[in-house]
Amino acid sequence: MGLDVIWYLVSAMVLFFIGVYCIVAKRNAIKTIIGIEIITTAIHLNFIALSVAVPPYGVVDALAQSIVIMSMVIGAAIATVALMVIIKIYRHYKTIDLRKVSKLRW
Amino acid sequence: MEFPLLLQPILILVVSAVLVPPISLLGKALKFERLREVFTIAGFIVAFYSLCNVYLKVSTVEGHLLSYHFKGLGPPFGVTFIVDWLSVFMAFLFCGLGLMAAIYSIRYMEEDTGLDKYYTLLLTLVAGLVGVSFAGDFFNFFVFWETFCISSYVLVTFRIRKWEPVEAGFKYLIMGTFGSLLVLLAMSYLYGLTGTLSFPYIAKALSTATVNPVLLYFLIGLLLTGFGICAAVVPFHTWLPDAHPAAPSPISAMLSGVVIKAAVYGIIRILAVVLYPVSIDWGIIVLVVAIFATLTMTVGNVMALLQDDIKRLLAFSSVAQMGYIMLAVSVGLVGGVIGLYGLTAGLLHVMNHAIMKGLLFLCAGALLHAAGTRNLKELTGIGHKMPVTAVVLAVGALAISGIPPFNGFISELAIILASINAGMGIFAAIMLANIIIGFSYYLKLLYILVWQSPTEKVRSVKEAPISMLFPMVILMILCIVIGVWPQPFIGFASQAAEAALNLTTYIRI
Repeated sequence: MGLDVIWYLVSAMVLFFIGVYCIVAKRNAIKTIIGIEIITTAIHLNFIALSVAVPPYGVVDALAQSIVIMSMVIGAAIATVALMVIIKIYRHYKTIDLRKVSKLRW
Repeated sequence: MEFPLLLQPILILVVSAVLVPPISLLGKALKFERLREVFTIAGFIVAFYSLCNVYLKVSTVEGHLLSYHFKGLGPPFGVTFIVDWLSVFMAFLFCGLGLMAAIYSIRYMEEDTGLDKYYTLLLTLVAGLVGVSFAGDFFNFFVFWETFCISSYVLVTFRIRKWEPVEAGFKYLIMGTFGSLLVLLAMSYLYGLTGTLSFPYIAKALSTATVNPVLLYFLIGLLLTGFGICAAVVPFHTWLPDAHPAAPSPISAMLSGVVIKAAVYGIIRILAVVLYPVSIDWGIIVLVVAIFATLTMTVGNVMALLQDDIKRLLAFSSVAQMGYIMLAVSVGLVGGVIGLYGLTAGLLHVMNHAIMKGLLFLCAGALLHAAGTRNLKELTGIGHKMPVTAVVLAVGALAISGIPPFNGFISELAIILASINAGMGIFAAIMLANIIIGFSYYLKLLYILVWQSPTEKVRSVKEAPISMLFPMVILMILCIVIGVWPQPFIGFASQAAEAALNLTTYIRI
């Protein structure tokens, strides 16, 4: 037997907060996208870990795997759109430092 | 094989979205460039028609609840579509405003390039919204949620040659994605608690299970934060006043009118139906939501007072109106008859705000199209040159600030009465003060745009073309009709609210 499910949940939580830190603290636009990807991965880990812990016990629930696959597809789409926008930001501002990309008021 | 009725609206929208680029090529070959616009509008009309069929079916079926699952993959393991009055109510709004935006886009967007992508994305946006309202489990909900989210990110950044949409779109993308991911995280914990993703089965499992209340508060907090980011609840509203003005005007109307309402739908569906059976103190959650709602309306209104950009003013007004709706939703979470009344008021305001704000953004778009600026000072007196737009704008502004013969009055009154009814008099008082602030900046808007004599800059402006005026006039007529004859609309909203709170029918699926 592998580890208990709770360890996977704890590491998913740690990953989640690493991702949040990445979004909040990093000023590079691409690093922000990496933060979002880390959060997505944390949630995937959560789903996969929980898929063995829910009834019916002893089998891996295919529902969690299917939502993880869908979420990966969606995550890829979001990353594509985000990188496209970052390219456009670079064309307009000549930088991807988010502190300098703030012509709009709040 | 007979195709299931309740999948038809979504399928029609998705198929038309896929067909727009080839149809556009065909139009180029036939020397009839407008073919794609005609096709898009036809797609919306057919989808609306099939939605009417769904409405008729729901009104005849026992329990007013339709469900569909793919063969052999029923709940709790497969994906389900569940349609009740609440879904139909929201879907009508989504599809109707989408149709108006498509008609408006014919002339408004004609100078842009890449229009086949634009219409594809518009159809996908509405398909995602309708899918969210028809979803019966978290799987469908999440997939359709992200479908419309990604479409709206791209639509906000549609005019990539300007800096403003790009910056606003990036902000919207980061915040919106973070919000959806919080919802997904809450989904994963709910899945771990119950072993299913289907809404009725989660509700069933949670009503019997004994769960640590701390975990439940954490989950509800995650869901409220996640949906709150997408619904622009203060302090997560910062993307909205950037993203909504930066988008092309028909898309601003869609975003302010219906996209942020999808998050309200999510809050109602998931908190009032799915999580409602859990045994925790809902009073605290009601109070928290109400406090954030009053904060939202106050910040939105005060910030709107300070704006000199017409679309930014309207965007901050959207934040304020979301505060009113969230107050009604918080009353709805009280449950029972009081909750029913609050939710009815909230849904009525969701509908009215979709109509009024759609109308105002379309007006702002007409002014922007004619004069080429969004600055209120430069637009001074433009109403004299564009009489129809001026009348429509006046009706919209008076309606949204709650003047009696129009629709805004009814729902705002209903929200205030509902919150007094629920013993939240202090919040009702704050909302009244907010309505007065709202009235003041809409009067300012009307004074500058319609009352003052025109300046040199707007002398040569002409009235908007007929295809732009048509959706505006339709929405204006709706404003007046709902204002003077509200009974059927209140009836529909109260059916929707009843369906939202009727858990016993919902979990029988």
